[in-house]
Amino acid sequence: MSARPPRPPREGGDRGPGGGGERRGRPPIRRGRKVCHFCSAKLYYIDFKDVKLLQQFVPERGKILPRRISGTCALHQRKLMEAIKRARNIALLPYATD
Amino acid sequence: MRTYEVLFIVAPNAPEADVDRVTDQLRQTVADAGGTVTKLDKLGRRRLAYNIGKFREGDYILAVIESNGREVAEVERRLRVADVVLRYISVRVDEDVKRADKLKAARQAAVAARPPRRSHGQSHGHQQMASDMEAEAEE
Repeated sequence: MSARPPRPPREGGDRGPGGGGERRGRPPIRRGRKVCHFCSAKLYYIDFKDVKLLQQFVPERGKILPRRISGTCALHQRKLMEAIKRARNIALLPYATD
Repeated sequence: MRTYEVLFIVAPNAPEADVDRVTDQLRQTVADAGGTVTKLDKLGRRRLAYNIGKFREGDYILAVIESNGREVAEVERRLRVADVVLRYISVRVDEDVKRADKLKAARQAAVAARPPRRSHGQSHGHQQMASDMEAEAEE
């Protein structure tokens, strides 16, 4: 995995709220900080047979929901990936749907 | 000892006798190698997420095997050879479960060790605080 480039310094730090730094396009939608579903559920082992649970992380298309959307932590995303792939192998989850 | 979960799909049109033969064989194979089958569950008929051959659904059977790991290859070979078995997967679970338990225990210990916050959470850290105070007194 490649390292993420360092974050650019925040704009308008000393200009107070609402000041300057207007960028084109839609303003970013701020939502609350996402927390890992599995951390908050204190779940450490993700069972590949638990289809109901896994389905929450597999949208329509059948792809695995990325971390940046689900907010899953790195450790649990890895375990989740493993579980989903096992479930796919045994036809509990689809590889792809169209 | 290791714990394995073996999940396999049996064709929905398979005669009962064939299914029984597969499960009996599995039991026998494991027993011969000195392991035990702790659970053999028929999870029932399920719609498959995708078609396997001409089948749209299948009967899922889950076996939990307690063994030293040598019989798994043989179990897999037999499942592969059996005509009624559409798909199988075997997963070693003891290490992950053990780690999960360890993490859980560590977490609980951490919670217990945390000093209590004001009024609530006192029941958790009470004893720990008492021993902390003793330690301070000795210093």
